[in-house]
Amino acid sequence: MTEIATDYPFPPVTADEAAERYRAIAADRPMTRTTMPFGGDAWVIHRTEAARAMLGDPRFVREPFRTGERVVPYFVEFPEFLRQTLQFEDPPHHTKLRRLVQKAISPKQVKAMRDSAVAYANQLIDDMVAKGNTANLVHDYALPLPIQMLCNLLGIPAEDHEKFEKWASSTLAVAGMSEDEMVTNMAELYMYVVNLIQLRREEPLDDLISSLANARDKDDTLTDEEILPIAMLLVVAGFDNTANFITTGIASLLQHPEQLELFLTDPDGLAPTATEETLRHGRFSLGIPVAGAGALVPFVATEDIEIDGQLVAKGDAIMIDPAATAHDGIALPDAERFDITRQNNPQLTLSYGLHHCLGAPLARMEMQVALAELFKRLPQIRLTSAPVINYDHLSQPITRLDATW
Amino acid sequence: MPKVFYTQPDGTVVAVEGSVGDSVMATAVRNGVAGVVGQCGGSLSCATCHVYLDERHADEFGEVGEDEDEMLDCTASDREHSSRLSCQLLIGEGEVHVTVPPEQL
Repeated sequence: MTEIATDYPFPPVTADEAAERYRAIAADRPMTRTTMPFGGDAWVIHRTEAARAMLGDPRFVREPFRTGERVVPYFVEFPEFLRQTLQFEDPPHHTKLRRLVQKAISPKQVKAMRDSAVAYANQLIDDMVAKGNTANLVHDYALPLPIQMLCNLLGIPAEDHEKFEKWASSTLAVAGMSEDEMVTNMAELYMYVVNLIQLRREEPLDDLISSLANARDKDDTLTDEEILPIAMLLVVAGFDNTANFITTGIASLLQHPEQLELFLTDPDGLAPTATEETLRHGRFSLGIPVAGAGALVPFVATEDIEIDGQLVAKGDAIMIDPAATAHDGIALPDAERFDITRQNNPQLTLSYGLHHCLGAPLARMEMQVALAELFKRLPQIRLTSAPVINYDHLSQPITRLDATW
Repeated sequence: MPKVFYTQPDGTVVAVEGSVGDSVMATAVRNGVAGVVGQCGGSLSCATCHVYLDERHADEFGEVGEDEDEMLDCTASDREHSSRLSCQLLIGEGEVHVTVPPEQL
């Protein structure tokens, strides 16, 4: 038997080989110390249990990144405005802000938004069908759905949706805007949100900006400086990733006929597990090469801490590679398989612990609705070309998915 | 070793061995018990480890705290008087019986 390479990171290989390598790496060690393109060295965790232990341990913090004391070790330089968001706050300030926002994107609230998501998905499908029998599913379906949901959540009035979409999309990988255009769009978006906060302070409605603008935490109210980064974080994180997950889910099903056939027997019933499997296996099921790299935002150890037998020294940066943990060969058997019926799916793509994805319930609901509605309405849909992927962007999103029905 | 019994919405019961001091949520997650997500790892910010605590334990675990109370209002399945977040239920020497709600997300 040939020995499987356990180097990490590793260059693009077939998805099967990547899964095999991830399994061998995780069997060999819980984490690897690696030098990131920016910000120096960091530990990258490969095993699910070790990842959960780190993400659930409050001794790993992000304060040094927010204050600028440390550069964030990552694949790209982190923009200043992102380092001022909730992601980089630690308790207790983080706890106060996070709960306020979480209540607006809680499982209960998101459940209440589901009907409007179903209606909007169907409206998008109606529009596609009215135009003919082909569509680019990124542009015509996967992107508009989360944008609409985000507008509803934040309370962007219907007449402003178009403007908002233009500003918010300027941050997208698919937009391809020049730096100047992007800066102008972001500045306009900032001013718009500032005005909206002011408006909602005076006349609150039933939306997230209103509840933040009027939230009281003991004697404090949130200042504009506190609300703005939260709103901007939701805009930046709120639909780009979700859209990409939706597209990945659709493409994965269309490329696995036996799984699609199964899905079509009960789209509503299988949408939740198909969604989790898309989050877990994602890029592995698209028929494209997969590289052994990729990680969620890092933390810093505040003291010497042992994780899964490995000492992480005080001051060390550490992060998890969710593609690695999803294929560690320990948490899941047959991790290399795309299986939309998996009941136990310990994926960490939306992270875990204090800093798990704030919009996780919303992202999941949108994915479930998008998959179920599309295949219920157009069960005969099929791809007309391979997914187009932008490899220059950090998240390597699918920018075009052409289909016919 | 203390045991935790998780009754699923369809009535099946999953019994898992736990350790004193661990939470009912962490024990479920570690053992892959379906229906308990616990995405925030016990930091009271996700409302996805909701369970209904069996009446026999009514006096065994502490009162619902202020933060837990707030998050219990955010659960996907309806809150009932026996509702708890399982990250706040720490296993003692005896058995624990909980029912998993129909939905967490």
